[in-house]
Amino acid sequence: MNPSRRAAIVGVGLTPQGKLPGSTNLSLETDAFKTALADSGLAKDDIDGLLSEPGTTDMHWALDYLRLGRALGINPKYTGSFAMGGATAGNLVQLAAMAVTSGMAEYVACCFGDAAKTGKRRPLQAAGGYLGVETANNGVWGAFGAATWSAITASRHMALYGTTDDQLGEVAVSARAFAAMNPAAMMRNPITLEDHHASKMIVEPFRLLDCCLVSDGGACVIVTTAERARDLRQPVITIAGMGQGFITQDHECEEWWYGPHQKAAMDRAYAMAGLGPQDVDVAELYDNFTISTILWLEHAGFCKVGEGGPFVQGGRIGPGGELPVNTHGGHLSAGHPQGWWTLIEAVEQLRGASGDRQAPDAEVALVGGRGLVLNTASALLLTGGGR
Amino acid sequence: MTTPEKPIPTVTDENRPFWDGCAAGELRMQRCASCSHVRYPVQPLCPKCLDDSAEWTALSGRGEVFAKVIYQRAFNPAFAADVPYNLVLVQLDEGPRMYGNVVGPADDGIRVGAAVAVCFDEVAEGVSVPRFRLATD
Ligand SMILES: [Zn+2]
Repeated sequence: MNPSRRAAIVGVGLTPQGKLPGSTNLSLETDAFKTALADSGLAKDDIDGLLSEPGTTDMHWALDYLRLGRALGINPKYTGSFAMGGATAGNLVQLAAMAVTSGMAEYVACCFGDAAKTGKRRPLQAAGGYLGVETANNGVWGAFGAATWSAITASRHMALYGTTDDQLGEVAVSARAFAAMNPAAMMRNPITLEDHHASKMIVEPFRLLDCCLVSDGGACVIVTTAERARDLRQPVITIAGMGQGFITQDHECEEWWYGPHQKAAMDRAYAMAGLGPQDVDVAELYDNFTISTILWLEHAGFCKVGEGGPFVQGGRIGPGGELPVNTHGGHLSAGHPQGWWTLIEAVEQLRGASGDRQAPDAEVALVGGRGLVLNTASALLLTGGGR
Repeated sequence: MTTPEKPIPTVTDENRPFWDGCAAGELRMQRCASCSHVRYPVQPLCPKCLDDSAEWTALSGRGEVFAKVIYQRAFNPAFAADVPYNLVLVQLDEGPRMYGNVVGPADDGIRVGAAVAVCFDEVAEGVSVPRFRLATD
């Protein structure tokens, strides 16, 4: 990317994550906005772009951006709402980067609020039933629960490559070890591989400790040009590479189960940044289930296809490991503002502000997001330390 | 407390021939009249060539287990009595992939790659759901 046309992240905000009775999608979204605004040192009236992800309990609500703008008293130059599941956070930041580098807006706030734990219930429908009748009809075979698609992926990965229960468990153990060092994480008591194996089966091959948490929470990320960022309060965190990828056809796509769109998104981000896996100091990868981390490591080129299982063994992705992954504890142990905390953690790491869990000399962070019926992917390469 | 009912398929003008086929003991899918691509899930136009004319053709119902998962928890309470139960993604010989359940053997006897053949389970008057059995021949 032409360095003069780069964008940067200048403010981040995260509400508490967990059980927050009385909160709503909107209250969490506006709380996070206020936190990010304070973090950036900007004034409300500086924000002229608003992008939103409707909460998961309101996923179809495309008018979320209007409600948000009204609540914040912002009449933006540029706005919209997008629902791409766990890829939304990263892809909204990419849209914001495009908006500020093209001159459509100067400071764009990307916002999310989700009272998924204590707020309104989702309808009882088959996994992915939100896509329409044909997917909803998978309910006749009992295809319920968000674990369905990733369990399918894990089943196939285990059958083809010999990925094991121990290797899935290692991902959970590493995530928890980081969460233990994160005061804001929901689950902080360290676990062992034995604890993983003793946790009950939910959707085989997944045990309880293979599955992410559900939480109430909000998040906000503010984006402007790298040039303007230099005049602001925080260290400049540059958006060096951006990539997206999508599979709309699910089962009509040969390798859908493996997530080729996720690899494509990673490759596109590396190409834009002129960076490769060897340059990455810390990786924040959407871990809705333990298998997701293993797949990302393959997609991002840290190991070969099928070798993600052995890669995670021996503490390689945990604290003090060769490649720190999900240093806040991930969706598995920190909390579930889907894909937003991974992104914000990457910014904190590059600012050197991650406390006990800080990765040494972190200058390049890779962020991956994935969502829906393994349909959407987002990849970001962020750089700090004056790079 | 009443036991919730298991879902039965939502039948639309578009997918009615699929479910009529199941009721008649045949797995029927759309074959594109222009390029012969067999498509599933049901949709109004061919994703390969965009032609919207198709004929409903009977498939062999044979394929192999592409992936399998076993529910040890009922996310829909209507399935509580079935736990543990399996869900498989089947790679059909003619190309499409579809979900189903393998009936018969214990869940741990189902292997990825195992040959399966379709069978039909009448779940309500005139409504049959396709499932699979392990193919021995
Ligand atoms: Zn065609």
